[in-house]
Amino acid sequence: MATILVHISLLAYAAGAAAFLTWLVRPSRRWVQAGRILLLAGLALHLAAFVIPGEPNFAAIGLGAEGWKGGQLFSLLAAATVAGYLLLDWRWDLPVAGAFVAPFTVAVMVPAHLVKSSARAVAPQITHSLALFVHVGAAALGTAALALAFGLALLYLASERQVKSKRPGRLFARLPSLDLIDKAGYRLAVWGFVFLSLAIATGSLVSREATGTTLPLAPKQGFAILAWALFATMIQARLVAGWRGRRVALLVITGFVLLAGAYVGLLTAPALHGTVAAGGLLP
Amino acid sequence: MTFICVGLSHKEAPIAVREQLALPVEQLGQKMKQLRALPGVQEALLVSTCNRFEIFAFAESKAVGEDLLTELGSVAAPHALCRFDEEAARHLFRVAASLDSMVVGEAQILGQVKDAAAQAQDAGTLGPQIRRAIDAAVSAAKRVRTETAIARGAISVSTIAVRLAHKLLGNLEGRSVVLLGAGEMAQLAARELKSQGASELLVANRNMQRAEELAREVDGIAVSLAELPSLLERADVAICSTGAEHHLITRELMQKALKARRYRPIFLVDLTLPRNVEPAANELESVYVYDMDDLERVAAQNRDLRAAQVVKAEQIVEEELRAFLAHAHERRAVPVLARLRAHAESVAKAELEKTLSALQGLDERQQKSVRAMAAAIVNKLMHQPTARLRAEAGEGPLGDAAAALFGLEEPGPSPVPIPVPPPGDTVRPSGGDDVPVSSAPQPPPEPDPEPARAPGAVLPLKRKG
Repeated sequence: MATILVHISLLAYAAGAAAFLTWLVRPSRRWVQAGRILLLAGLALHLAAFVIPGEPNFAAIGLGAEGWKGGQLFSLLAAATVAGYLLLDWRWDLPVAGAFVAPFTVAVMVPAHLVKSSARAVAPQITHSLALFVHVGAAALGTAALALAFGLALLYLASERQVKSKRPGRLFARLPSLDLIDKAGYRLAVWGFVFLSLAIATGSLVSREATGTTLPLAPKQGFAILAWALFATMIQARLVAGWRGRRVALLVITGFVLLAGAYVGLLTAPALHGTVAAGGLLP
Repeated sequence: MTFICVGLSHKEAPIAVREQLALPVEQLGQKMKQLRALPGVQEALLVSTCNRFEIFAFAESKAVGEDLLTELGSVAAPHALCRFDEEAARHLFRVAASLDSMVVGEAQILGQVKDAAAQAQDAGTLGPQIRRAIDAAVSAAKRVRTETAIARGAISVSTIAVRLAHKLLGNLEGRSVVLLGAGEMAQLAARELKSQGASELLVANRNMQRAEELAREVDGIAVSLAELPSLLERADVAICSTGAEHHLITRELMQKALKARRYRPIFLVDLTLPRNVEPAANELESVYVYDMDDLERVAAQNRDLRAAQVVKAEQIVEEELRAFLAHAHERRAVPVLARLRAHAESVAKAELEKTLSALQGLDERQQKSVRAMAAAIVNKLMHQPTARLRAEAGEGPLGDAAAALFGLEEPGPSPVPIPVPPPGDTVRPSGGDDVPVSSAPQPPPEPDPEPARAPGAVLPLKRKG
C-alpha cells in the first residue's frame, strides 16, 4: 500500500515538475497553480506512505523496526524538500524555485523507489534509540533545507550573471529579485545549518550507542563536519562582515557539495565499516 | 540643393562614442551657428540628446555632407550615417515619431526635436526648408500618437530603470535613493522610486541652491555633492544625471564605499552623457551599473512586444512623408511657373500698352475689353504648361525645358559631385556594404553631367539648365 502511495506521489511530483517547467516556457500563472497543487497532493500521499503501519517507515525508526530500505532515506529527503519548497513558495512566491525543486524531487525519488534496494539492518542496540529517530529526521530536514538553499544559490548566480552582463535572457522577467533570492537562500542555509548541527550531534550519540566511538573517522562524518564548518563560517561572515550575494551563494554551493559527499560516504560506508556506524542506517 | 542628415544614434554608436559628442544645452546654439557657417550650408539644425547627435542641414550639394561629417570628429565619424534628401526626411519623421528611439513610442523625443528647432530659430540657423520639414514631422508624430497605441505600451527609460531596481532590490520600501544632477529622466525615475516606497530621496547638486529647488520639486532632501562618498555608503539606488565631463563615481570610490555598506547591493543608473559612473565599477561585487546603452537592451524586449503598433506607426509616417514630398515637389515647380507666368504677363502688358497707345480714342469700356482679351490669351496659353509643370513637380525635364525655351534660368551654384550611395541614399563612412565618404580617398571634383539623386529626393540637386 505504501509503495503504491509513493508511486502515485512520484507521478504527482513528475506532473508538478512538468507544470513548473512549462511555466518557464509559457508564463501563465495557471501552470504555477497546477504545479503547486500537484506538489501538495504528492506530498500528502507521500507523507501518508510514511506513517502507514506494518511497513518499514520513518515512524518506525527508533521504535524497533527491523529493516529500513536505503531508498527510504532519499524518499524522506524528497518529501522534506517538497514540504520546504511549499513553505518557501507560500512565504515568498517563488515559482521559479519550483522549477528546480520539482525535478530535483523526481530525480531523488526515482532511484529511491523504482530501484530495488535491500533492507538495511539496524544494529540491535540502537533500534529503540530516540537519538537515531532525531538524527534521521534532522538530517533529512537539514539536507532538504540546504538542497533548497543550494538551488537558490544556483538561481542567484544565474540571475546575477544576467543582471551583470546586462543581457537579460528570456527567463529574466520571471526571475525573482536578487535580494529575495539572497535572503531566502540565507535563511534556508541557516535552518539547514541548525538541523545539520542537530543531526551531527545526535549522530555522534547514535555512534556512541552503536560502536562506543563518538566521532568515528569516516568519509560520511568527515564531509558532514566540513560542510558544517563551512556553513558556520558563512553565517559568521554574513553576521559580522555583511557578506552576501555571490560569495555567499558560492559558499552555500560548496557546502552542499560537501554534504552530498557525506551521503556518498553513507552509501559507501559498508565497504569501509562493514557494520553499524554512526549513521545508524546501514545494510 | 539637398537635404542632409549626418550623425549617429544609439543604433550606430556605443555610448563611449556618443558621450564624446555630447554638448551642454547652452552650447547648442553656438554649435548650430558654426554648422550654418560651413561653406554651402544654408540651414542647419542639431538634434543632440543622450541617444543621438544628428545634424540636419539644407545645403547646396551633397558634398557638404563631408564637411558635416568632419564636424563629428575622427572618433565618431566612422560610426556616423549620412542620409540625403528623401532618406534624410524619412529619418527626421521617424525620429520625431519616436520610431527610432531607444524606447519606441516614448514621448520625450518629440519635445527634444521641437526644442532643437526653437534653439535653431533663436540661433538664426533655421530656414523655411527645415522649418517645413520639422512642422511636417511633428504633425506626423502627433498622428502616430493619436492613431496608434504605440505610446500606451511604451515604457520610458526611467520606468525601465525602476523595474531593474525592483529586480535587484525587490521591495523598494525603506530604500534610499540618491539623485545626482538635474536631468529630466533622472527626476522621473527618482519620483517613481519614491512613489513605490523608497523611504528617502536625497538630491545632490554642486549648487546647493539648485539642490534645494530640485528637492522641493521631487519631495526629497537636498544634500551637497561634496558628500558623495557618504551618500554612496547610504544609497541603494543612485541615479546620475549631472553635466560633469568626467566620472563622478569611480570604481575606486565605489570600492571604498562597499565595505562600509557591508556589501549591500547598489544600483547605479547613469542617464547622462558623458557618463558619470565609471563602467569598471560594474565589475565590483554587489555593484550594478546601467547606462543608457544597457537600458536600451532591456528596452529592446519591450519594443518587440509592440511590433504590430510599430508597423502601423511606420505606415502613418510613410503616408505623411509621401504627402510632405508631394507638397515639396509642387513647391519646387512653383518658381518656374511663377517666372513663366510673370514673363507671359509682362509680355502681354508691354504689348497691351503699346496697342492701347496706338489705338487712340478707345473709351474705358473698350480698353477694358482689350485688357481682358490679353489676360484671356495669357491664361489660355498658360493653362496647359501650368498643368503639365505642376504634374511633373520639378521631377521631369519640362521645368528646365520651359526655363530654357523662355529664357527663365536663374544663376545658381554648380552642382558638386560626391560619391553617391546606391538607392537608399544612406552612407556609412566605415567599410561594409556602404559607400565610404570620409575614410576613402575622394576623386577630384569634376562637373557631373548628370548628378546622381536619390529616388524621389525631397530637395533635388540643382540640375543644369
